[in-house]
Amino acid sequence: MNGKKFFHGKRTKCVGIALCCMTAMLPVAGCASSGNSGKTEIEIVQYKPEAANYFKTVEEQFNATHDDIHLTINSPNDATTILKTRFIREDYPDIIGIGGDINYSYFVDAEILTDMSDYSGLQSINQGYLDIAEALEFVPVDGTYILPYVANAAGVLYNRQMFADHGWKIPETWEELLALCDDIQAEGILPFYFGFKDTWTCLAPWNAMAVELAPSDTTKQVNRGETTFTDQYRELAEKYAQLLPYGPEDPFAYGYNDACTAFARGESAMYPIGSYATPQILSVNPDLDIDSFVMPACDNKDDRTLNSGIDLGFCVMADCPDKEAAYEVLDFLLADENIQQYIDDQNAVPCKNGDFRLASMLDGMLEFIQTGNMTDYQDHYYPSEMSVDALLQTFLIEKDVDDFLATFDTNWQRYNRDIIRMVQEYAQNH
Amino acid sequence: MKNDRQRTFMLITIPILALFVCFNTIPLIRGVIYSFTNFRGFGKYDWVGLRNYIDLFTDARVGKSYWFTIKLALVTTVVVNVLSLLLALGLNSKIRAKGFFRGAYFLPNILGSLVVGYIFNYFFTYIIPALADMAGIKALSSSILSSPSKAWIGVMIVCAWQAIAMNTIIYISGLQTVPEDVYEAGGLDGATGWKQFRYLTFPLIIPFFSINMVLCVKNFLMVFDQIVALTKGGPAQSTESISYLIYNNGMAGGQFGFQSANAVVFFIVIVIISVAQMKFSSSKEEQL
Repeated sequence: MNGKKFFHGKRTKCVGIALCCMTAMLPVAGCASSGNSGKTEIEIVQYKPEAANYFKTVEEQFNATHDDIHLTINSPNDATTILKTRFIREDYPDIIGIGGDINYSYFVDAEILTDMSDYSGLQSINQGYLDIAEALEFVPVDGTYILPYVANAAGVLYNRQMFADHGWKIPETWEELLALCDDIQAEGILPFYFGFKDTWTCLAPWNAMAVELAPSDTTKQVNRGETTFTDQYRELAEKYAQLLPYGPEDPFAYGYNDACTAFARGESAMYPIGSYATPQILSVNPDLDIDSFVMPACDNKDDRTLNSGIDLGFCVMADCPDKEAAYEVLDFLLADENIQQYIDDQNAVPCKNGDFRLASMLDGMLEFIQTGNMTDYQDHYYPSEMSVDALLQTFLIEKDVDDFLATFDTNWQRYNRDIIRMVQEYAQNH
Repeated sequence: MKNDRQRTFMLITIPILALFVCFNTIPLIRGVIYSFTNFRGFGKYDWVGLRNYIDLFTDARVGKSYWFTIKLALVTTVVVNVLSLLLALGLNSKIRAKGFFRGAYFLPNILGSLVVGYIFNYFFTYIIPALADMAGIKALSSSILSSPSKAWIGVMIVCAWQAIAMNTIIYISGLQTVPEDVYEAGGLDGATGWKQFRYLTFPLIIPFFSINMVLCVKNFLMVFDQIVALTKGGPAQSTESISYLIYNNGMAGGQFGFQSANAVVFFIVIVIISVAQMKFSSSKEEQL
């Protein structure tokens, strides 16, 4: 190899350097905005691909009625991963549509969201959901960083027709639920369907029961070092395991889609999952009459509370150059007719106060929604990399309560080390 | 004149080198830098020194994923190489419709591994249990993908099914480099059947064998698509491969820094294994 000689050729050197520079510039050039005739560009990335059609319509309507702002809404699959990958490159959209879960907590903590306290639209939002958002912050932060848009509710979906045919009554306590399951089984029908192959579905019954059996701020208490999951989650874990015999023989062979299909075909009387599953179920069997009830995990029917959290909220990024334009877009999204359209499509619960028509499959939960008897999902506080869903799946396979709770506690300390340190530092200083 | 030639070669090499540095070396170095932070992938982060690396060696989940991946890679490599060598021997002999069979056995390689994974997923979940029920085989009457102790076999089957195609082609091309007169000469000395394979064919195709071994081990250590399509790391985290864990917790979860450390260690492991394999098999090579 005679590399030295090459560098004597001056011209070649220049060409070489030019090529290096060009290749280095390539990724940068790709990011530059294309410029749209003086209009303000607003880009939303939202994480619910199942609502992509709704957002397509909203985007078209908005652009047809606004001359000064051009709106783009993206609804990719697995948007949270896409967003995080974009954030690594410091390429931020103007508005993001995310759920009220730990990712929101991370984003607030990373200081990449704008304080929206000055946005007038917040006045019309149900205070309950603003409180839920506030609670998601690791340590209290001044300001409001999310506009709660719609909520979902998780309990038990049931086949209303089948219940009427057999004269089964909606259970209101844990005892009644088990008795009902026995009755259903006695008639040769499967009480529950589970799709535990998709690990996240293991969280649905868990969350719905947890709101009644564990304090709503369990995770925060643990972070402050006041309690352990072994103390708080034992009853919950034991009761969850009791549901398994009422499901299919090998629930770990079936995924979410399989379970939705089976429930839609009447193979089981109930399916413990959130209201978000109904569009999927109805796509298999549009004539199915679905209703839902609140998971009765406690012994006293007055202790019941509905498992409900922010399913979709909008945050304006700190990087957004034109906040006024972003607020204008949010105003449009918050218009009553648009929210009604969304909840009709997705069977969601609006976070905005007002007179909205709710889907019939929420009938059994209406009382709880109207009185505001709702508690946020426990899993909204679990870090996704800890994979509590997989821990739960392991537990449901092994059925070893002690081992599960011990693992939960050790893993929690490990995955939340930085957060726990932050929380305890905050506690010392305030 | 010589100078001109060199210049041309350099002109060809430099852009490629620039691209390689841009898209491979720089990201690699950045990854190493991030592995010393608690970076979540966005926002602010702190330097944590060697904490990620210390954690890595005490993390049961990471250990489990290494065990699963290495077990899968070794078993699949053996299965793939044995089967594809047998197939290659068959397809290289004088049989009817040889071209058709070669094409047919190559088919799995041109299908996307996600597609193959989803098809096998359905196959394992519904078809095999139904068949087993009919035949009365109790062991197979539930999906093997739902059992933490057996799910890796399902992943292994899918990986092997797809990888055999390429390896068979490489072996066939290897077998075609063995000249006919070697067999004739060997035949005179009584080398036929197994002896012929053991003492003539195999030593002469060792270079192809080593290529296949290295490619197989490397590919299966980095198994990802099949996991996504078949099990998503489940049941009970029993099929979480290293790449899947790095992607899932590094990107979707907030462990960018920690998983960068994992990726750095994994990179070193793969380099060591590949170099060791090359060293070992090149010492066994025969020249005609």
